[in-house]
Amino acid sequence: MLFAAALAFIFDPANLLGEKGILPRLMDHLLYTGLSLGVALLVGIPIGLIIGHTGKGKNFVIALTGSFRAIPTFGLLLFIILFTGLGLGPLVFVLAILAIPPIIAGAYSGLDAVNRETIDAARAIGMTEWQILGKVEIPLALPLILGGIRSATLQIIATATIAGYVGLTGLGRFLIEGLALHDYTLAFAGAILVAALALVADGILALIQRLVVPHGVSRGMARTTTRSGRRTAPPALTGTPITEG
Amino acid sequence: MQSHGVKRIAAGLVAIGLTASLAACASGDPLGGGGGELGTITVGSQGFAESDILAQLYGQMLAANGYTVKYSPSIGSRETFIPALQDGSIDLIPDYAGNLLYGADPKATATSTADVMAALPAVLKPLGLAISSAAQAQDADALVVTKEFADANNLVTIADLAPIASTITIGANTEFESRSYGRAGLESVYGVKGWKFKAIDDYGGPGTLSDLLKNNIQVADIYTTTPSIKANNLVVLQDPKHLIAAQNIVPLFNEKSYSVAVANIVDRVSNVLTTEELMSLNEIAAGDSKPSPEKVAKDWLTKMGLL
Repeated sequence: MLFAAALAFIFDPANLLGEKGILPRLMDHLLYTGLSLGVALLVGIPIGLIIGHTGKGKNFVIALTGSFRAIPTFGLLLFIILFTGLGLGPLVFVLAILAIPPIIAGAYSGLDAVNRETIDAARAIGMTEWQILGKVEIPLALPLILGGIRSATLQIIATATIAGYVGLTGLGRFLIEGLALHDYTLAFAGAILVAALALVADGILALIQRLVVPHGVSRGMARTTTRSGRRTAPPALTGTPITEG
Repeated sequence: MQSHGVKRIAAGLVAIGLTASLAACASGDPLGGGGGELGTITVGSQGFAESDILAQLYGQMLAANGYTVKYSPSIGSRETFIPALQDGSIDLIPDYAGNLLYGADPKATATSTADVMAALPAVLKPLGLAISSAAQAQDADALVVTKEFADANNLVTIADLAPIASTITIGANTEFESRSYGRAGLESVYGVKGWKFKAIDDYGGPGTLSDLLKNNIQVADIYTTTPSIKANNLVVLQDPKHLIAAQNIVPLFNEKSYSVAVANIVDRVSNVLTTEELMSLNEIAAGDSKPSPEKVAKDWLTKMGLL
């Protein structure tokens, strides 16, 4: 009953546009997500690649960013607002803080999982460190790098609902208004919209993941994992030297 | 090794002794006032600083006048503390007149202090509850503007917003817009319509305040006892037509614990407690030294000559 009423709300054209409409709030939600993810990528990817490639400082960085995960995002947001006042900046900052750990972890573990023999081989044939990173490590690590980005994106989409508490909008407003006014249909509709957005975003990212990951990597990985359950199975015997050495 | 072990045991014994003596302190009346020959009264509070201070004001007055007082702080919202009063787990709690009335009788329409106080006893009687005198102090929603904005637009009452209503944004919690004193009430009572609304769900806290000071919103819903009103020289728009329900501080008893003698003691607090005084109590409690509600209350009662 509640579910039907919530769906009726979502598909009622009257609720699509206007100041409190679904579309403008969806656009705002996407804006917050995009900005936060952008900041998190700018910070997280280079750090993840550096520690993944050099192996230096990995314990420190992983422990530090891991501890970020324990920060309550909403509490941090309210704390920052004490000093800055309301605005987009504090929201993007806290959402980026939320998203950076999985991005770093993805990039780092992606590079870390690349077979050392492959890297040694690349070095042996005269590749520079940048070439190794760009032509060997990143392509091979892409599935895990993108996995980290996917997980970060989902967390941002779900958590961006708190924007509605601090003078911004986004899909979280439906939840907040529904709870404040004891209109649970509205709150449930908001929850459905956020969940649907998360699923769609995840689907799109899964598609991108499939498109950009080199064919050989996904083939090689699938084969090695199914055969032995371990990535370090000796694929060289199967004659796919470019993928995993 | 031997002496090390002995030291350790000795340290353990000292620790146990300390704990025991601390526990003894905690169970006794920390203020040492009152004998308790008149019976025991448990004072509850609603779980935020102002309520804790008010509970201490009532409790310390009772303790100083011969009652044994226990405190049961942070009980929570009305949905929790009304049953706690009814089952006798607490005897007394500070409450807010308007919200108490609307909580007990959702169809109530009284808004002025006099009307609310007149309506309350009849509504509370069937619930087994009683009140004594309300304080002049109120912690109610208030429409607040900056001094500059008030001066520039000659604002004194809420009605003065009507001519500029279409140019202003009001910032408040989400539910404000649909409350009786929100969009509908502002239009029907004061002719204030066409304003924009910005939902800021921090109950008139720092976010709302910073937006008001930055002129992102021109009017904010901030509770009347919030220290930031005085600290920032904000102007509370007057409400001569009682759009917003009066929220005078009122001692709420369960009927079994209510007596004229107890009421008279508690009412000595109500008699001198003004909104200004309550705001300054909140300000002290929020100050840098973070004094306990106990100390804030004791200092104030002493200052007012009640202890």
